[in-house]
Amino acid sequence: MKGFRFSRKQLCIPYALFLICFVVLPLAVIVYYAFTDGSGRFTLENLLNFFTNGNTIGTLCYSAVIAVVVTAVCLLIAYPVAYVLARSGLKRGPVLLMLFILPMWINFTLRITALKEILTVLEGNLSLHPFLNTVIGMTYDYLPFMILPLYTTLLQLDQSLLEAAQDLGAGPVSVFSRVTLPLSMPGIASGITMTFLPAMTNYVILDMMYNSTYIMGSLIGSYFNIYDWNNGSMISLILFALICIVSLFTGGEDQDDAKNRGAVL
Amino acid sequence: MKAERKCKIGILAAGTALTAAFSLVLPVGTISGNGISDGAPSGNPASVSAAESSGKVTLRIANWEEYIDEGGWDEEEAIDLDDRESTVILGENSMIEDFEEWYLDTYGVEVEVEYSTFGTNEDLYNQLTLGNDFDLVCPSEYMFMKLIAEDRLQPLSDSFFDEENENNYYIRGVSDYIRNIFDTNTINGEPWSSYAAGYMWGTTGIVYNPEVISEEEASHWSILADPKYKGQVTIKDNVRDSYFAALGMLNEEALLEPDFISSPDRLERIAELMNQTDEETVKEAEAILKQMKENAYSFESDSGKADMVTGKVLANYQWSGDAVYTLDQAEIDDYYLAYAVPEECTNIWFDGWVMLKDGIEGDDARQQAAEAFINFMSRPDNVVRNMYYIGYTSVIAGGDSDIIYAYADWCYGAEDDAEDTIEYPVGFFFSGDNADEDYIITAEADQVNRQLFAQYPPQDVLERAVVMQYFDQENNERINQMWVNVRCFDLTELTPQDWAKIAAVLTAVIAAVVIYKKRDDIRQLKRK
Repeated sequence: MKGFRFSRKQLCIPYALFLICFVVLPLAVIVYYAFTDGSGRFTLENLLNFFTNGNTIGTLCYSAVIAVVVTAVCLLIAYPVAYVLARSGLKRGPVLLMLFILPMWINFTLRITALKEILTVLEGNLSLHPFLNTVIGMTYDYLPFMILPLYTTLLQLDQSLLEAAQDLGAGPVSVFSRVTLPLSMPGIASGITMTFLPAMTNYVILDMMYNSTYIMGSLIGSYFNIYDWNNGSMISLILFALICIVSLFTGGEDQDDAKNRGAVL
Repeated sequence: MKAERKCKIGILAAGTALTAAFSLVLPVGTISGNGISDGAPSGNPASVSAAESSGKVTLRIANWEEYIDEGGWDEEEAIDLDDRESTVILGENSMIEDFEEWYLDTYGVEVEVEYSTFGTNEDLYNQLTLGNDFDLVCPSEYMFMKLIAEDRLQPLSDSFFDEENENNYYIRGVSDYIRNIFDTNTINGEPWSSYAAGYMWGTTGIVYNPEVISEEEASHWSILADPKYKGQVTIKDNVRDSYFAALGMLNEEALLEPDFISSPDRLERIAELMNQTDEETVKEAEAILKQMKENAYSFESDSGKADMVTGKVLANYQWSGDAVYTLDQAEIDDYYLAYAVPEECTNIWFDGWVMLKDGIEGDDARQQAAEAFINFMSRPDNVVRNMYYIGYTSVIAGGDSDIIYAYADWCYGAEDDAEDTIEYPVGFFFSGDNADEDYIITAEADQVNRQLFAQYPPQDVLERAVVMQYFDQENNERINQMWVNVRCFDLTELTPQDWAKIAAVLTAVIAAVVIYKKRDDIRQLKRK
């Protein structure tokens, strides 16, 4: 009998099932709750609440500021590191890279707990600089996510292009700003996506760092905690939309480059 | 247990969404896990008759994490009590196993307990909403008040209150003081005691380091907002406890007036003041909480205990049960902390057993097993096991048995050769008469503001201990909104200077991007 043959298409069935169960369905539920009221009737009130409530706007701004600062600091630290690791021809480059990635093997709550002790020694009292501590904690946690894509992009950078630029008379600064930097844009974009988005919502770090001001994640949590799933879902949904916009913004510009070079992690 | 673990909320929210996703698709209840016992969904009448025919009852219980003796004690841990019969107490098996055995021996019916735990009251409530069926749960008082108000609880049967039956350990042993509270507090005209049987109870107060903070300072809610201790006190990360502290501070003057204190209806008047939820009060409380937020080291649910023990903070808003734990932990490092209950008032709290209508479903056999479980947990020797394991205070005084008093004496009674001792009466709890000479513990003098004080508060504390009521929808929403206001970043708080700084940074960033994008144009301009 001519048996059943696996085609490539069928291989994706488990994946599709997974997607439906754990991505599409939950999202559908969120949409359902976002546009209904407590008794299940359709309403746009939750949407209106988001934009008319000073708290949500304030929290959004506060989260955005934290996320921007964390991303910028990560980028400033990660770029030189990735550059040195990838371009300077160090014999032990991969080992050094491993050292930067290594902390990721330890659960982040443990790492943050340890960091808290270190900061307590340095600062004396953690509660005096909640914003600073939050930024330090998140930077510590997300740095590998910024280093990795940058490292990959810089590693694949075509040496001949740099030599050509030098031959044509560009100084080191010019080579960097006109060749290296533009060519590493896909890595930067991917790094930003991977740091900015979680930094908007990761309130566990914020909590552990004793920052008692809510960010988006904690605000959503607080709504779920008082059984107000409708407003909580609406905030989640709007955050999701914002994330999509940011992804388009950072991903769109250099998408072709990224495709060509396969640089996105 | 009032200990909540904040980091669970994220998981809860995710889990909630996921479970909700399933319950929309599948008939509610079939995925609850509990429903699949004996191979048939519990909601199905067929399974009930199946259970009857095999004579086996399945009892689904949800309790706080680490809130029951799990057994496995070492021989050395045995508690040798000096009561009338000199009882030795040793938790060999878990309480659940012992219950199953006892129930078979006593009632001749096999019972299988499906025991699960929850981390917060809200967690439990969400599980119930999503269709997880439980027969017997142990939420805090405000949550069982909510459940009573929503008519979701099965009333306790008359036979549960029959004091003649020697297996009714709860009603024979519960402290009169607690019983009175459960009888007089009502929801929609029905007393708590119709639905709920107490498990553990306590007060709220301040754990403090007596070397830095005086007892007088720690005995006022205002210490939480005292700029003298900026960054050195912690506050509870939940709206009810924080609101209570704010009201205590707001009404400090009224509550401490000598006329007020000596008035015969003092307790009722405190209760009235501390349960205000009108707009003006909530607004004033919000201002106080913002002040506390500025001043606090952290809003915590769990981390406060460790921060107190390691000396990171000097004072810690705490529930008495966790206060005992904190003091015990610190003592291991020879670090001596103390516990104070504010002189204005304190919040008396309970965790209690209640049965759910949706779980019991009118099944008498199951209800009997659930009530028997409450009674088994109230049997004096089991009370001691649980108290030893958890560190909280049971609502059971023991009735005819003096094991529980003997345990308190075993914990806190001073050694015979101790020099500095005090006579600490606990009669109000054990016999209803504080002057009862049978219930006076001779304790070391410092216990007067340490563990003994936290575990069995003296009469003067209970004269200012009030229940915080469950608020109706409208008032609840107002308070929750106030809490979100406190915790969220307020844009209006920014000064014009702040706005100027933000504008400057934004301009600089935009300028940098524009210059970078137009770098070639600029270069060409220069060449020209």
